[in-house]
Amino acid sequence: MDFIIAKYNYWIYIILMMVGFYAMIAKTNLIKKIIGMNIFQTAIILFFVSIAYKKGGATLPILTSADAHGEHAIQVAQYLNPLPHVLMLTAIVVSIATLGVALAIAIMMYRKYNTLEEDEILKAIK
Amino acid sequence: MYGTIDMPDWGDPNSPASIHVSPQYITNAATETATPNLVTAVLADYRGYDTLGETVVIFTAGMACILLLRRRGEGKKTRR
Amino acid sequence: MIIEQAPALIVIIVLMSAVATPLIGWLRKDLCYFWVILALLASTLCSVSVLNTVMHEGVIHYSMGGWLPPWGIEYVIDHLNAMMLVLITGTSLLVAIYSRRSLEAELPDRTVYFYTLFLLQVTGFLGIVITGDVFNLFVFLEIASLSGYALIATGEEGAPLAAFRYIILGTIGACFYLLGVGYLYMVTGSLNMADLAKILPGLYGSKVVIVAFAFFMVGIALKMALFPLHMWLPDAYTKAPSAASALIAPLMTKIAVYIMLRIMFTVFRPYFSVDLLPVTKILLYAGIIAIFMGAVMALAQRNFKRMLCYIVIAEVGYMVGGVGIANAVAMKGAILHILNDVVMTLGLFAVAGILAYKMKNNEITAFDNIFKKMPFTMAAFLVVALSVIGVPPTCGFFSKWYLIQGSVIAGNWIFVVALLFSSLVNVVLFFRVIEIGYYDFGVSGSGHTHEDCSAVSEAPLSMLIPTFIVAAAIILIGLYNQSILINIINFAVPKL
Repeated sequence: MDFIIAKYNYWIYIILMMVGFYAMIAKTNLIKKIIGMNIFQTAIILFFVSIAYKKGGATLPILTSADAHGEHAIQVAQYLNPLPHVLMLTAIVVSIATLGVALAIAIMMYRKYNTLEEDEILKAIK
Repeated sequence: MYGTIDMPDWGDPNSPASIHVSPQYITNAATETATPNLVTAVLADYRGYDTLGETVVIFTAGMACILLLRRRGEGKKTRR
Repeated sequence: MIIEQAPALIVIIVLMSAVATPLIGWLRKDLCYFWVILALLASTLCSVSVLNTVMHEGVIHYSMGGWLPPWGIEYVIDHLNAMMLVLITGTSLLVAIYSRRSLEAELPDRTVYFYTLFLLQVTGFLGIVITGDVFNLFVFLEIASLSGYALIATGEEGAPLAAFRYIILGTIGACFYLLGVGYLYMVTGSLNMADLAKILPGLYGSKVVIVAFAFFMVGIALKMALFPLHMWLPDAYTKAPSAASALIAPLMTKIAVYIMLRIMFTVFRPYFSVDLLPVTKILLYAGIIAIFMGAVMALAQRNFKRMLCYIVIAEVGYMVGGVGIANAVAMKGAILHILNDVVMTLGLFAVAGILAYKMKNNEITAFDNIFKKMPFTMAAFLVVALSVIGVPPTCGFFSKWYLIQGSVIAGNWIFVVALLFSSLVNVVLFFRVIEIGYYDFGVSGSGHTHEDCSAVSEAPLSMLIPTFIVAAAIILIGLYNQSILINIINFAVPKL
């Protein structure tokens, strides 16, 4: 059981991802699917950020003024890993963009069929 | 779930992710980029191209929304 | 100086012109079309020069912003890349020329934004193919996907729902890819493909790496429309406007195959992908099932465009199966097939677009007597059809030949049967269209008088010329395929 406890953060994100995945596939309301997609993407983002953490009092990856002026050598273990944060900024932006386009399509469909249930729209098309 | 067995522990400062590429970012960023905020230094400088891509993503989404949501005939009224 | 900066220019030219397009459209709407063609022409010239450089000098490494990898992002262009770059820019140029009339007919008030998204999608494709960094690939994959979703959603009745389904499934695929990148980063600390290839061999026993590989494969399979994850493709490509489907259909799935090739053979060395995991067997079976299923479902379709979509699914099966056989000859066939399939699918969808523009009707039964009415279009269609069936000297024959040769060497007879079966089914499919088109049945529609029939005339020149260029390209590629193989593809095949 030891590995579960040491890595419990990973289990949390897996559960969150499954919730989002289920919502995307199983629900028929378009908005619920979109929200599920967002949960799914957020879980992945959380996972990435959790990679960056360093135990032992690491602070944010912003150099204090003493370090920034090069007065003494910077201790790497004192600062969090900045790279995953960077990647996730991009991923958050991408997920918002996808959310926007998905919602625009949902608005298009609502204007036309006046409903947001997928099965009713399918019936209306046929 | 199967994969979590071999993952490095949470918060391990010696994990490969923290050792390989990032230390260079942390130690050299102040001298090479003159930015104390490391996230910005990586985002705008070392990986600036990704930020450009991200901006393009926003632009694409904006254009997509305009393309999808304009009602017919509205364009004619707002032009000229 | 331009030659040196050409790799970056290929993407940047298209990107900047995509940003400039709404401004130009605000000034004068008609200028957009020429602007798009100009931009794509410049980009095509750059990509041809890059191909030239790669053929003469070998692999190009271009570091973005001067930061050396693995701390900065780098473009790596080898033979596979260079070929794909030329393909993408050439295809998009042809579709851009072709698209003007059909856009006027289908989307008269939104041409400016359509062209913007068109250029953005090409930017996305180019960025995917050219990069040597896995996260950069994700960013550009999302650019391409987002513009694709929007372009498809502007189509006819039922297009928004098709686009919505595609969004859901496509996002799952991209997120799985991102997860794969994350797992790999967690155990290696690097995002550069060459760097990963150096670090990973020591880690092949790790379960994280295996799970990462699985995530990559599932994500890419979703984007590739590999059976059973192909659900989004028929609806999405059928209901999209003709210009959009002519751009997306040839390129998106093949670029996903390219990503798979990169992941399997550049990031994870061939030893891992072939020997350590039975991945290639799974791919082989998936490919075989895809071929059978695509062929059978295509027979059942009455809508011409939908039939073409199932042919696309079967073609993906060829490529994946070719990779799955995993010997050098089959890989040559698979990579040659990427080239061929882009050209063939472009031809097929271009013809479909012309027919939709002229006839306003996509059912096969409405096609009677088009051979007399549109002789040139149908001549081009014949060439493309022969290539899909696999008749020499069209290019389709040669890629099938290498695939069959490779599977015979490997002793895998099921794949040979699948390929031959698919060829036979394609013969039936296309002869059905040819038969209806050649004779004047006069039974389509009610009250269809002779005056209505003769009103359908030959396609406009701007739509016809690109189709002809495609048909000519098919024959040329077939005739010159030996030299293409020797100069380009042989270098692109990974050492197995």
